[in-house]
Amino acid sequence: MHVPEQLRDVVVIGAGLAGLRAAVDLERAGGDVLVLEARNRIGGRAWSGKAEDGSTIDFGGQWLGPDQTRALALAEATGMEIFPTWVAGVNVELRAGERLEYSGLIPTADPDASVEVVTAMLDLDLLGLDVPVGAPWEHEDAALLDSETMATWLDRNLASPVSRGIVEVALQAVFGTNSDELSVLFVLAYLHGGGGFTNLTRTTGGAQERRMGAGAGALAVHLAKKLHGRIELDSPVERIEWDADGVTVHVMGRSAPVAARRAVLALSPILAERIAFDPEVPQRHALAAGMSMGRVRKVHARYARPFWRERGLSGQLISTNGSISSTFDNSPSDGATGALVGFIAGRDYDSTAGLTDDARRDLVLDELACAFGPEARLPMEYHEVDWPAEEWTGGGPVAVMRPGALTGAGDALRRPIGPVHLAGTETALEWCGYLEGALESGERAAAEVIASLGLTNGRGEA
Amino acid sequence: MASTDEIIEAYGEWQSRSNANDRLRKMLRGWDRVVIIETTDTRERLTIAVVDQTLSDIVVGAPEVVDLVVTGTSEDFCDMFWGDLNPSEKYISGEIVIHGAQADVMRLDAMSMVAFLDQ
Repeated sequence: MHVPEQLRDVVVIGAGLAGLRAAVDLERAGGDVLVLEARNRIGGRAWSGKAEDGSTIDFGGQWLGPDQTRALALAEATGMEIFPTWVAGVNVELRAGERLEYSGLIPTADPDASVEVVTAMLDLDLLGLDVPVGAPWEHEDAALLDSETMATWLDRNLASPVSRGIVEVALQAVFGTNSDELSVLFVLAYLHGGGGFTNLTRTTGGAQERRMGAGAGALAVHLAKKLHGRIELDSPVERIEWDADGVTVHVMGRSAPVAARRAVLALSPILAERIAFDPEVPQRHALAAGMSMGRVRKVHARYARPFWRERGLSGQLISTNGSISSTFDNSPSDGATGALVGFIAGRDYDSTAGLTDDARRDLVLDELACAFGPEARLPMEYHEVDWPAEEWTGGGPVAVMRPGALTGAGDALRRPIGPVHLAGTETALEWCGYLEGALESGERAAAEVIASLGLTNGRGEA
Repeated sequence: MASTDEIIEAYGEWQSRSNANDRLRKMLRGWDRVVIIETTDTRERLTIAVVDQTLSDIVVGAPEVVDLVVTGTSEDFCDMFWGDLNPSEKYISGEIVIHGAQADVMRLDAMSMVAFLDQ
């Protein structure tokens, strides 16, 4: 039996943006805080690295939208460059052997299909506005909306396979899953919290509007610096013993457990299932059982120059051919070199997961070449991040809810388990699934702890 | 730059096309609103009303109480009303800006896209 060290005020589990935000707020309020992180790095889904030529690559979340005030303020506080996503030029749609060009948000080659998409998106957005983001289960039709998958809703509302294909690509891009894994009620709440389908999927004015010169990982580094080394890496938590007075947290490979008056669990509810609770909390199992992690492989292809721009192309692609389903221009702000970023997600992730890396790369580069020109076949550098293979995330961009999860156990998302407070982007009221949502959740969890411990002060500057 | 007369003429085309479009009229059910068009270059303000699923004539000037304000260049409004410009292209690039309640903005965005696609 190991004897715990001295009693701390708070132990934060998970050094992603949610955990770091919470830890900084708690320390600022005078709390004695320790952060435990399972990986050998901080940042969670906000993770940046360097390309061979030294430019930044974001392996995870990377964009900022104009309404994402917390993430924008934090990015500004780092002093790094914030610049608009490249959008000039026409977009490309690849569908069943055809290459089509379009402008605007939605492919327009088949106007009837596009009208269906627009109408369905509007219907979902308007329905979403009536769903209370903090308590979707309180909507008057919650039981009905949470009994249905998006797949059956789309079956009823979209007649054309083309419109269905476009919406599935949008769902893959936003959730990393397809319609058959998504509760309608969950999607409506998510749309409401993110300002609607258009807001979530568009670049300028929406969630993909701006990029960060030093990458999203710099947000985590900025927060971590304020913690003066109170982060222990390579420290996966195995078990939390808890009672009304506090927690004893058992960490793999750590000689002594960590004792604290409060804990903040800043993980997706699915990943949190890997931690045993003593006493157990059945409600959290019910919640996790109704959720699944998005499945996304984030692809970067880097080129000597952004050659597609010379052809009047924006670098944006929508493809229903079954591998890379959406791309954006991800070149550095000066355009000195070129980069395309794209996603293989949901059922396309599944169908390409068994391929060799070379075969999948060929498939992706063929699609890019078809969309943007033959130069795309010969990148200087090609890079994939397989998020479901990331042991301490288990997928991305976000954990989604299947039918029944929200109405059955949704209130377990944020309700503290005794002294254990819950954070992570999945618990956010607004911008769930985004960097902004992670920060909001950390802020909220810290405020709960500050109030319950009677600490002095809450949030300050970024 | 387009003159106010040109905008009014182009709008007339858009109005008759939209009012004859059943899918579009369906989207306007229960949505009576006053919409102001504001040009950034010619500094003109024009008013359109949606009443009983029908687009009214366009009127020069603006009342004090409105539901939506749409801002853009005179040229873009003309091109959009003639059906030559996908309004979503200018909306997502931020060159056309819509101010109003979130649900109204969503509906105007969607109906203007349908008007373009369904001509």
